[in-house]
Amino acid sequence: MTAPLLSLRDLRTEYRTDRGTVQAVRGVDLTLYRGEILGLVGESGSGKSVTCMSILKLLKRGGHITSGSADYDGTDLLRLSEGQLSRVRGDKIGVVFQDPMSALNPTMTVGRQVEEVLLQHRKISKKDARARAIELFKLVRIPSAETRIDNYPHEFSGGMRQRVMIAIALACDPDLLIADEPTTALDVTIQRQILALLKELRDRLGMAIILVTHDLGVIAETADRVMVLYGGQIMEEARVADLFEAPQHPYTRGLLAAIPDPRQSGGALTPVPGSPPDMRNPPSGCPFAPRCPKAMAICLTPPDLYGAGDALHLRPAQRTRCWLADPAVPAELMEAT
Amino acid sequence: MNAPLLELDNLQMHFPTRQGPLKAVDGISLSIQAGETLGLVGESGCGKSTLARALIRLHRPTGGRVLLDGQDITTLSDSALKPYRRRMQMIFQDPVAALNGRMTVGELIAEPLEIMNIGTPATRRKRVKDLLDKVGLGADAANRFPHSFSGGQRQRVGIARAIALEPELVVCDEPISALDVSIQAQIVNMLSDLKRDTGLAYLFITHDLSMLRHIADRIGVMYLGKLVEIAPSEALHVAPRHPYTELLWSAIPVPDPAARRDDAFETGEVPSPLDIPTGCRFHTRCPYASPLCKATEPPLKTGADGHGVACHHPLPSSPSTAQQEIEHA
Ligand SMILES: Nc1ncnc2c1ncn2[C@@H]1O[C@H](COP(=O)(O)OP(=O)(O)O)[C@@H](O)[C@H]1O
Ligand SMILES: Nc1ncnc2c1ncn2[C@@H]1O[C@H](COP(=O)(O)OP(=O)(O)O)[C@@H](O)[C@H]1O
Ligand code: SF4
Ligand code: SF4
Ligand SMILES: [Mg+2]
Ligand SMILES: [Mg+2]
Repeated sequence: MTAPLLSLRDLRTEYRTDRGTVQAVRGVDLTLYRGEILGLVGESGSGKSVTCMSILKLLKRGGHITSGSADYDGTDLLRLSEGQLSRVRGDKIGVVFQDPMSALNPTMTVGRQVEEVLLQHRKISKKDARARAIELFKLVRIPSAETRIDNYPHEFSGGMRQRVMIAIALACDPDLLIADEPTTALDVTIQRQILALLKELRDRLGMAIILVTHDLGVIAETADRVMVLYGGQIMEEARVADLFEAPQHPYTRGLLAAIPDPRQSGGALTPVPGSPPDMRNPPSGCPFAPRCPKAMAICLTPPDLYGAGDALHLRPAQRTRCWLADPAVPAELMEAT
Repeated sequence: MNAPLLELDNLQMHFPTRQGPLKAVDGISLSIQAGETLGLVGESGCGKSTLARALIRLHRPTGGRVLLDGQDITTLSDSALKPYRRRMQMIFQDPVAALNGRMTVGELIAEPLEIMNIGTPATRRKRVKDLLDKVGLGADAANRFPHSFSGGQRQRVGIARAIALEPELVVCDEPISALDVSIQAQIVNMLSDLKRDTGLAYLFITHDLSMLRHIADRIGVMYLGKLVEIAPSEALHVAPRHPYTELLWSAIPVPDPAARRDDAFETGEVPSPLDIPTGCRFHTRCPYASPLCKATEPPLKTGADGHGVACHHPLPSSPSTAQQEIEHA
């Protein structure tokens, strides 16, 4: 069994704001193996982006990591100095965001922006950096790479800009690519092209990918393993095939019933009632309890993640944060509220 | 068949730009019956919002006609339009964002009634209560401010305001696109209930074809300012006839890992609306394009089944017909 590339333990991150403290991430564990695509799925505000940005300590003002460790290839990223971290970012770990326009410099050609990353992390001549930039543009299938690298970001469509972002993220051959909703702002036709590209790049380059999305369809098409987030916690964690075949958590089941399947005929959808919790004041027990059709008296006490894979991790665990999955819950506590 | 509630006849909306006219809507004809939901889908920039704005006369169309109940409203002045405005309302992606933040939800919903001088303060309060109930918000919501609401609740406020004047047509421009998936179905189901109870009609615009099938009776597909296919929802799903519709369906991620597709899917991007391709505007991306397609623009032809398609080489009209064609070959 090889060691994980990244293992995040008990990550807790909060945002201190004028209007109170947001408990954005509340004890997330995450294990990622080399070459694996791990999907992080959940509704907006569930803590997906904050989890990713905590790994790289790229939190906006007011953000504080209050506990946890992020062991990356033997180093705890959360203990690194800013200088050490800036050598990891863009080199060993690449990042792609939802909105490439805000991540790109509008006054610099895209080619220069790729070259800058290379020059920052590698001992490489300007000429070689340019050659590498062209090679990267070809890798992400930007047509006419040789001439397009001299264009500015606004001269690209949204889909092509996202390819530029991916080229920049891949410049230094990272072992890990964090892609935070990389296709959310794109049309479905362009989304499918980008997702196919990510899978192909993983196959060719062998890097691991953390793919953040709110779309279970994207997870089904792309990820190997998936973690369902809600209220800053993992509700369910499983291999993708297992999650869709046998979802355990009431929230996962609710989500799957609420989304349309393009293969099935129309008719009424089954919504999840209510709305997500305010993370300044999250429910004290199970965060899903106010919306859960199965909620019981015991759900006012926070449930643990139950379930395990085999010890060798040959078949990774399907774990569920729900009292219904706890074999030890006494029957008398299982009464409906 | 009854006269349609709304009819667009070769509607055109060209914007002047420094690089020449931008043909956002380039000759679209369609109709919506009373009590019907027509869905409109297409990639971003294809002209959906422009069409919506032109038909409720937020734009003055540069060509063609808009008929409401047989009345030509295309060039009416603002004052002459007033009685028609009441019959058509619009809801947006975040309907509350554009509204006065200092007004309570109750005041916001009562505002259209006040402007139109309908009822007394007491009857209006009663009406606000009924409307809140209709959209699934409690009566206590009336005294709160919309900013304290979640996205789904805000959309409910927008809908209550839009239906306050009992319009016959509500134009919904991406009303669920910014909402969480668990909430989208709540709003879609609520809109369906409202339609069933009040008989209003919707033009429902979205880029999400799979969601549209759960709300629309018929679906129109737009590409670069043109309507390329229009059909009853089921037919558009089971047997799309335009290659672009087929492409849109195949691009939607399927929530089932067993159906995963690993092909490269290189289907290109939409050309600039300032430089529209000759002939069929889809030919630069179409796998079936022929020399005819590059030279001649195909007109929208509608069959007896109400299935319209603008393509020189349309796909077979239904799986059973396709089967027959194979058997006859
Ligand atoms: N810069 C910030 N300031 C204050 N709160 C924030 C900030 N960024 C995120 N949050 C809060 O943290 C929680 C998790 O947010 P996020 O990780 O961005 O969610 P997701 O990516 O799953 O949509 C939310 O409640 C959000 O409002
Ligand atoms: N007021 C305007 N002036 C100039 N161009 C516009 C204007 N409004 C929209 N457009 C252009 O018209 C085209 C169609 O836009 P829009 O109707 O918003 O598309 P959709 O809603 O389908 O995404 C786009 O190319 C857009 O840039
Ligand atoms: S712990 Fe209780 S409230 Fe939470 S998901 Fe399970 S049954 Fe529902
Ligand atoms: S007319 Fe030709 S190019 Fe256009 S959609 Fe039909 S087959 Fe394709
Ligand atoms: Mg996010
Ligand atoms: Mg629009």
